[in-house]
Amino acid sequence: MSKFFRKSVFWGLVILLLFSLSLVAFAQEEMSELEKKTADEAFAKADKGQPDPDWKGKKFTIAVLASGPHGAISGPLYFWRPYWEELTGATYDIAEIPFGELQAKIFTDFATGTGNYDCIVGPSFFYGDYIANDWIIPIDKYFDDPRMPEWDRESIAPPIRELLQWGDNWYGFNNDHDGMVIYYRKDLFNDPRWQAEFKEEYGYDFPVSPVTWQEILDIAKFFNGKDWNGDGKDDFGITMHLKVGEQGFFNYIALAGSFVCMPAPGDDPAKITRYHNVFWFDPETMEPLINTPGHVKALEMLTELTKAGPSAMVGWGLGEAWDVFLRGNAAMCFTFGDVGTLSQDPRVSVVQGKLGVAPIPGSKEVYDLENEQWITLEEPNLVGNKCGASWHGVISSYAEDPDMIAHFLSWQATPEINHWNVAWGWTGIDPGTTYDFLEPAGKAKIEDYTITGYDAEDITQFLDAYYTLWFEYPRSVPYLRIAGAADYIESLDIHMSEALTGQATPQEAWNRAAQDWNRITDQLGREEQKELYKEAIGYSGE
Amino acid sequence: MNRKKRVPLKEQGKHFFIFPAIIWLLVFTIFPLLYTLYLSFHGSRFLRVTKFVGLENYIYVLSDYRFWNAFRVTITFVVLSVLLTVGLGLLLALLFNRQMKGVQFFRTICTTPLFTAPVALGYMFMIILYEEGGPVNNFLHALGANAIPWLSHPRWALVSVLIADVWQWTPFAFLVLLAALQAAPRDLYEAASLDSASGWEIFRHITLPLISPTLGTVIILRTVEAFKVFDLPFALTNGGPGLATRTLTFNVYTSGLRDQNLGVATATAVILLLMVLAVSQIFFRRYGSNYD
Repeated sequence: MSKFFRKSVFWGLVILLLFSLSLVAFAQEEMSELEKKTADEAFAKADKGQPDPDWKGKKFTIAVLASGPHGAISGPLYFWRPYWEELTGATYDIAEIPFGELQAKIFTDFATGTGNYDCIVGPSFFYGDYIANDWIIPIDKYFDDPRMPEWDRESIAPPIRELLQWGDNWYGFNNDHDGMVIYYRKDLFNDPRWQAEFKEEYGYDFPVSPVTWQEILDIAKFFNGKDWNGDGKDDFGITMHLKVGEQGFFNYIALAGSFVCMPAPGDDPAKITRYHNVFWFDPETMEPLINTPGHVKALEMLTELTKAGPSAMVGWGLGEAWDVFLRGNAAMCFTFGDVGTLSQDPRVSVVQGKLGVAPIPGSKEVYDLENEQWITLEEPNLVGNKCGASWHGVISSYAEDPDMIAHFLSWQATPEINHWNVAWGWTGIDPGTTYDFLEPAGKAKIEDYTITGYDAEDITQFLDAYYTLWFEYPRSVPYLRIAGAADYIESLDIHMSEALTGQATPQEAWNRAAQDWNRITDQLGREEQKELYKEAIGYSGE
Repeated sequence: MNRKKRVPLKEQGKHFFIFPAIIWLLVFTIFPLLYTLYLSFHGSRFLRVTKFVGLENYIYVLSDYRFWNAFRVTITFVVLSVLLTVGLGLLLALLFNRQMKGVQFFRTICTTPLFTAPVALGYMFMIILYEEGGPVNNFLHALGANAIPWLSHPRWALVSVLIADVWQWTPFAFLVLLAALQAAPRDLYEAASLDSASGWEIFRHITLPLISPTLGTVIILRTVEAFKVFDLPFALTNGGPGLATRTLTFNVYTSGLRDQNLGVATATAVILLLMVLAVSQIFFRRYGSNYD
């Protein structure tokens, strides 16, 4: 009897397991069918060029951020591989590399000339080293090559377009468009009860569309420590990913722009001069600007913001920070485009239909480097950011078949395929071309997104915020694209973390960073670095 | 007149058999060591050696506050980790060195942490020590205690790395010391019992002297291993917050592989090697007689 019972339990469990797996598999299948249908349509419409028959049977290797076959950035490479194989008869291997090891693995491969990676779908901050060492090839020659699918370079948002170029040449293929925005709980922000309480506490109307960092700080402080979601626990004001060695430094850069980047006088406020629209170094001396008052004040602001959220977030990567917002325990989240997508997935999010998105706020105070004084402005100094990696493909100088790789990357950059990737948010590809934004400003239709599961209101907010960031902000924080960029960033990251965890004051932290930066610059050669920096930011010395 | 004595062929054959060991030693130990020394006196960028720079890399390292920070972190980690793993291992060994029901099962369970990959261990502890709703903080909360900032506070972050390391390495000390205890002659203990010696006296005058060579070996192996710790802080805290859990080997990794500066990385590695050698020498001079 007992043996019979044990057998029954065993087989019962096996059947239950198989049934559960089947349910999961069918659920995936249902999603896959819709994905496949829309992908087939995109594939049919996209330009395919005229693939060279010689490519048949050949293979190349792509190095990419490790996120798995259905994860951000690496996922689309897996997804589209069968299509491209069908198109060309060639194929590719995907070498996934964790974020923290990207530089070590890729640079070692290039430096030793091993040539394991023919193509890198990597971050934009590697360009300084790529260019200084001739590790990647310019791609302009492919634009008129009939074998290559055509992609629309003019449709790319200008700040991102700059990242794909160096000097007069193009090196990168259009793919991802990263920038930081503020996500917030629309339902909370529009609740008259909270608005009244806020006014009573802070003495001014609740800023439903916050435009300054001071407003963001006040809102974060206001909601922090209150049980506004009614689960019996205190909730948080804001959440960020500030773990050292992850991507917290992007939060700082996006925040600091408006405190540091002073608009140029005259007709063109975006003009780069020695004292205007510079962020990293004095282009005449390569002296770091990181410990100047603008930067110190920005770090003080970030430190204050950190206190209005979970104390644990100084040890959090992206996933943990997003999770707290998506589970409905934080009023705001300061991060990349991914949260816009994840918020629409009911398996991980309770905020679908409640999502508000604000483009990056500004500051009413900006430090004037020329006259060494603070300037108070009537309107906030709005400085956009292209914070994030803006992952995109480049071709290695060691690649055996660069033309074949150029075909693949051009095809991925065609409006149809690229827009499909943006609309299916799991790909991690964020919007940044006119065909991603809604009519009439852009060319996309709301159905492109709602079919994939987006709430119409949420996606409208999301796209509007990014459109404003990319096309309406007059200026943007210059991207650090010089040799050793990752070394400078690592130092910034470490010292930022020291300030956020009370191991140093903001001024001490940035003094240490300035000391590191000078050492790095001297090691790499101050004059060489200065020339690269001038070229990277477009400073002509006028 | 001296005539060279001819070595028989059979004797010459012996040398042939140690030849592979010599080759192995030259290729995998001596050459890398010499090459590391060579690199530490040269400039390099992107793994390419540029020029002889004398002591420049050493001066760079020794004048870098990051080195001294990592030095402090490493020394603190080594001392606490060795004390805790060896102390707990010895306690467990004493506890299990007796006839008990299910002792075999417990021994097996106790050794499982040894087989865990350090990186996996790092991620496992990241989940266990997760501050917002992780099992440990939930437990503390249920007891009415405050949550501990395991990974977000500089001191607690080092404690977290230590906890994970102690969890992994205590079984090593336990296993080796248990073997030593079990090899100890029983008659000494029986005689001590007949003389009505107390438990502490037996431990102090019989057990400790008997297992001291093994204990010394465990201490030195653990010390060397603790000096090399890298993957655990790498996976668990990424060296942070700030530089709070960044060890010397972490610095070697970042200089060499992340920043591609082999000169600085090898200079740090040589300093680390000298430190480990110095500690080993002090240890063997003090306790070498135990091994004679």
